[in-house]
Amino acid sequence: MSVVRMQSATAAAVTLLLALQGVAQTPPPQPAPRPPAGSVPAPAAQPPAPARPPAGSVPAAAAPAPAQPGAQPAAGQPQAGQEQPPPKVDPKIFDEALKDYFDDKQEQAARKLYAFIESTPPTDENFSWAQYFLARCLIDLNLRHAGAVYLAKVAHERSNPQVLPKTLEALKVLTLVPHDEVLIDEQIFGSLDLGFLPDSVSDYANYQQGLVDLRVGNERWARTHFVKLDEAGVEASRAKFALLVTRLRNAKGVVDDQMIEDFLELSKDEKLTMEARNEARLAVARLRYEKKDYEGALKAYDMVQLPPLDPGRATLYLEEAWTRYNLGQLRATIGLLTTLDAPSFRDEFLPDKYILRALVYRDLCQYLPAKRAAKELTRRFSDSLEAIRERDDLTQDFRLRRAANSHGSTKRAAKFLESLNLEGENLGRHAGGFGDRLYKHLGHVYDLAHAEAERLYQQRLRDAVREEADKLLRADEQVRLMEYEVGLKLYERVKRGAKLAQPEKQVQLTSAQIAFKFTGEYWNDELRSYRVSIPSRCLEEGAQ
Amino acid sequence: MKRTLLLLVCLASALAHAQGEELENPGTVLAVQDRTYRMSSELWIGVGIAPLDAFYKGLTGQVGYVYHFSDSFAWQVGRGLLSYNIKTGLRNQLETQFGVSPTAFPQLNWIVGSDVMWTPIYGKTSWLNSSVGHFEVFGTLGGSVINERIAADVASGTGQTVFRPAVHLGLGARIFTSKSVSFRLDFSNEFVIYKGLESNIILVQLALALNFGGTE
Repeated sequence: MSVVRMQSATAAAVTLLLALQGVAQTPPPQPAPRPPAGSVPAPAAQPPAPARPPAGSVPAAAAPAPAQPGAQPAAGQPQAGQEQPPPKVDPKIFDEALKDYFDDKQEQAARKLYAFIESTPPTDENFSWAQYFLARCLIDLNLRHAGAVYLAKVAHERSNPQVLPKTLEALKVLTLVPHDEVLIDEQIFGSLDLGFLPDSVSDYANYQQGLVDLRVGNERWARTHFVKLDEAGVEASRAKFALLVTRLRNAKGVVDDQMIEDFLELSKDEKLTMEARNEARLAVARLRYEKKDYEGALKAYDMVQLPPLDPGRATLYLEEAWTRYNLGQLRATIGLLTTLDAPSFRDEFLPDKYILRALVYRDLCQYLPAKRAAKELTRRFSDSLEAIRERDDLTQDFRLRRAANSHGSTKRAAKFLESLNLEGENLGRHAGGFGDRLYKHLGHVYDLAHAEAERLYQQRLRDAVREEADKLLRADEQVRLMEYEVGLKLYERVKRGAKLAQPEKQVQLTSAQIAFKFTGEYWNDELRSYRVSIPSRCLEEGAQ
Repeated sequence: MKRTLLLLVCLASALAHAQGEELENPGTVLAVQDRTYRMSSELWIGVGIAPLDAFYKGLTGQVGYVYHFSDSFAWQVGRGLLSYNIKTGLRNQLETQFGVSPTAFPQLNWIVGSDVMWTPIYGKTSWLNSSVGHFEVFGTLGGSVINERIAADVASGTGQTVFRPAVHLGLGARIFTSKSVSFRLDFSNEFVIYKGLESNIILVQLALALNFGGTE
């Protein structure tokens, strides 16, 4: 019988690593910081030029701006025939809006800025500033997507070079939270003219453009972007990581020591986040596992650092359990599988777990528990297996859907969709403060974004649930094999004079250790510490 | 005979159930961890109260040094206590209204002593399900020398003092805050031995303990 690990480590590595698009994001996600009052043309310190609509200027409604990427309607461009033309407003409203903004009256500021934008031609000196501050108001009000749309407009139009650096920095901050990847990553940072970028964002843009090239398989072009990165910056480390992952993906199972060394070096790079360094360590462990260097793989798993009381990731424990199983450490394997039963991992989709538990019990000649462990998989996933066999719509299956949503691009799409839903609800709370025109406009922006995000999510979900279903079917097949083998062993004739094998020596506690008996209560600080004492029921070799 | 058979049937079913459970879920699981906090040389300073005597309450300050041979056994090499005594209302009343002589009230001056310390309990606890704290519970047994003032010359502010032996028995708990800092709460009793006039001095104390040289 050949019961094998469900997924090759390299494939797992590629999947996991590529799934983490923002794997090396340095600062934790946080809302866009408010700029210091003096850093922008504040009304008192540096009054912007008064917005004077030139004589004979065409109203915004009559001269629609070019269509923006992402099918977003142009700001201040109401559709003809559907809405009243925007009312004329006094250009001083811009100054009032800025004052409101710095007085923390974001709703009022947003309404005035929108009115200004609607009634002012894009050539106006303050037009870009108005868009920028409208975006900041919306971001401050937790309408991040709407804010991103306006920032994207400023970045695309580039009509005021003074606004651009602040705009790009604000957009960079928005990439740390669920965001429209097409709008920001691809259409802004992925396509910027790098020659005119301020230093503060040029590295990030170079990195993003390199990533775009890597995704389409053009490593050489990606390198032309990556060589421009400042070696001391975080983007340089992230670029190295991305290149290594690409090399790993292209290696197609051929693992060389240099690649392991490179990942190992990256795992010590303090410029990367702890999560990114852990990813590098996991990559080292997976590559060593592929090379059957199980001891080395264990060392790499031990290097993974978790914040205090962080339960860690289920895949980490499962992979370590496979490694220990291959080293013959059966009891330690069961210990790790006990960890995977913790409430923190109860929702994880890990069909492998049941197979591995059955394998360990089988190797200890505990055949009934082995059979029971194997059957647990079919019991637990019976609905999903039934749905697969009946060729139902798998995206409607609760477990498969949850598994698909738990990682990769589907996870990002789901998170963005969720954030749009929340922001859409949030928008309703500002209906009064925004006024009818801005509220309607933002409602339209969110409707469009939601429709597109939903379409993208469903597309990714369909592919992802199919992968998860394949994984489940393979595990189900392994379970059948296991049940067959265990059934044979259960009814095997015991030879005359057979004795139970010598029990394994118990490892004594040292004076520096303390043992807490496990009674089903999981403590996060104990998750890597379970030690199982389980007798082997195997018979001694050589019985007649 | 019937009773014996019935008993055997009951026992057999109980054994079968136990065996079935063992077959289905074999083995036991322990969470084995390195001790986060280990004591080595401990210097502590504490404040407390001697609350038992009806005629005075002692506010105490105490210092001590403990050498830990292992995680469960230690020698409290020395400890010294000074008591600042405050008259109770009862004593004031006796002196002022009933004319009882102030020399009739013996009171604690100071204590020195040495003990052995046994720490059988080391555990952890959860604080609001967001952090884990570690603690230990220990007992102490030792001997003390107690200095008591048994008579006082109120006018001159001097008095006669005596030394008395005592057996020290205590129970305490320690909460660790870091590898080198912990807090102790001690409850102890001094059984003062004196020619058929035995007495007890109960002490309650909170102390800050500094640990030097503990293994990481």
